[in-house]
Amino acid sequence: MEILSPVWPSSSAPRPSTSRPRTLEGAVIALVDDNLDAPFTMHLETLLGSHYGAKVKRLVKPSGTAPAPRELIDEAATDTAAAVVGIGL
Amino acid sequence: MELISERLNIDDYEEAVELFYKRQWTDGLPIVLPTRRRVEAMIDYVGRDPQESLGPVPPRGGEATIEKLAINAAMGGCLPEHFPIVLAAMEAMMDPAHNLNGVSQTTHMCVSLIIVNGPIVRELGFNSRDGVFGNGYRANAAVGRAARLALWNLGGALPWDTDKSTLSHPGEYAFCIAEEEEDNPWPPLHVERGCPPGSDAVTVFACEGPHSVFCYGTPEEMLHVLADSMCALGNNNMHVMGQTLVVLNPLNAEEFAKRGWSKQDVRMYLWEHARRSLRDVRACGIVHEQFRKMERDAGRYPLRYDLDNPTTRLPVTPAPEDIHMLVAGGRSYFAAVLPGWGGFGGFAVTRQIQRPRQAPR
Repeated sequence: MEILSPVWPSSSAPRPSTSRPRTLEGAVIALVDDNLDAPFTMHLETLLGSHYGAKVKRLVKPSGTAPAPRELIDEAATDTAAAVVGIGL
Repeated sequence: MELISERLNIDDYEEAVELFYKRQWTDGLPIVLPTRRRVEAMIDYVGRDPQESLGPVPPRGGEATIEKLAINAAMGGCLPEHFPIVLAAMEAMMDPAHNLNGVSQTTHMCVSLIIVNGPIVRELGFNSRDGVFGNGYRANAAVGRAARLALWNLGGALPWDTDKSTLSHPGEYAFCIAEEEEDNPWPPLHVERGCPPGSDAVTVFACEGPHSVFCYGTPEEMLHVLADSMCALGNNNMHVMGQTLVVLNPLNAEEFAKRGWSKQDVRMYLWEHARRSLRDVRACGIVHEQFRKMERDAGRYPLRYDLDNPTTRLPVTPAPEDIHMLVAGGRSYFAAVLPGWGGFGGFAVTRQIQRPRQAPR
């Protein structure tokens, strides 16, 4: 009996990753605001700056329930040491 | 026919069924084994290229090729003649207006309801009458489950992974009904939404399960209880609007029509009366308030309501057209309301069903 797989084959190629920043002090960190919980995101932004000395590049998604536009993710990846791209609520 | 899916050669029936559990290729219920013969029959029936894709299925992005959808339709128990309905439902769900990515991953308990309209309902034996949301009818069950399996296997919306629904919904297994068009004095849903009379269509709308409404009497009495049921403070609509669904039974619709109420009359009345004061809504707490503000900031919440005045009467939807209405179920005392996800998405999308050219009608 020949049976067919119902799933789409997952890509086995690992994604290239950049090295992690050694410190947040002075690093530019992109913070993609999910537009769902402004007080939480503002608190996180403050902590990254005041506590860890990071410079935060905050980007706001148009909708908290749909994926970020490609351009926004590209911007988060440009000239930054790391990015926070999602916050689970 | 050239198919590219991984092939498994297994001669033992029990072993094959268990393999689907082992690989997490099923939702917890057993499946019909998608043999090459069943899958080819499905694709032959629609006469489409097996590698044609409707696009990536969110959230994981597996491609909804005709071949993969046929495999999942076979697993769900579909006959070939059910397959065009599955394709139309998938196209509708994958329309950006529906925001399937959000529907599949939200903490809310909405699921995309598939509503079938047109002559195909009777031809294929869909249930639109007594027990419409329940079991017992292959067409409802198989089409509903086929779509859910496609979201499971291609979208990867698994409850321990990307599907974050905290309570979820029994319709995760199958959630498909048909509208009763014969015992119905009003234009059916798909015609209201722009399809030609006599055409076949599916409409998808992400919503909670049906809430029973004890609905009997004069039009004013029925509307009184329907309006109250629609604006319960626990549903998302009351806080962030969006869309909602009202299902009237054929007797309800007949009573309205006999007294001169059109479907649009009923809709307008409900929109004007299914309201709560801002004072009531605010009493629910600060989190609800934050979501309302977020929706307003995002431009998805109407500006015409004064959110500083506690006597403001807030409707359940931004406009009357966001109250979807259809007729289904048994002639009885009971109607249903199915609140939506709110302004976040899951909005209704309608697609006509493309029948194969040679298929008998």
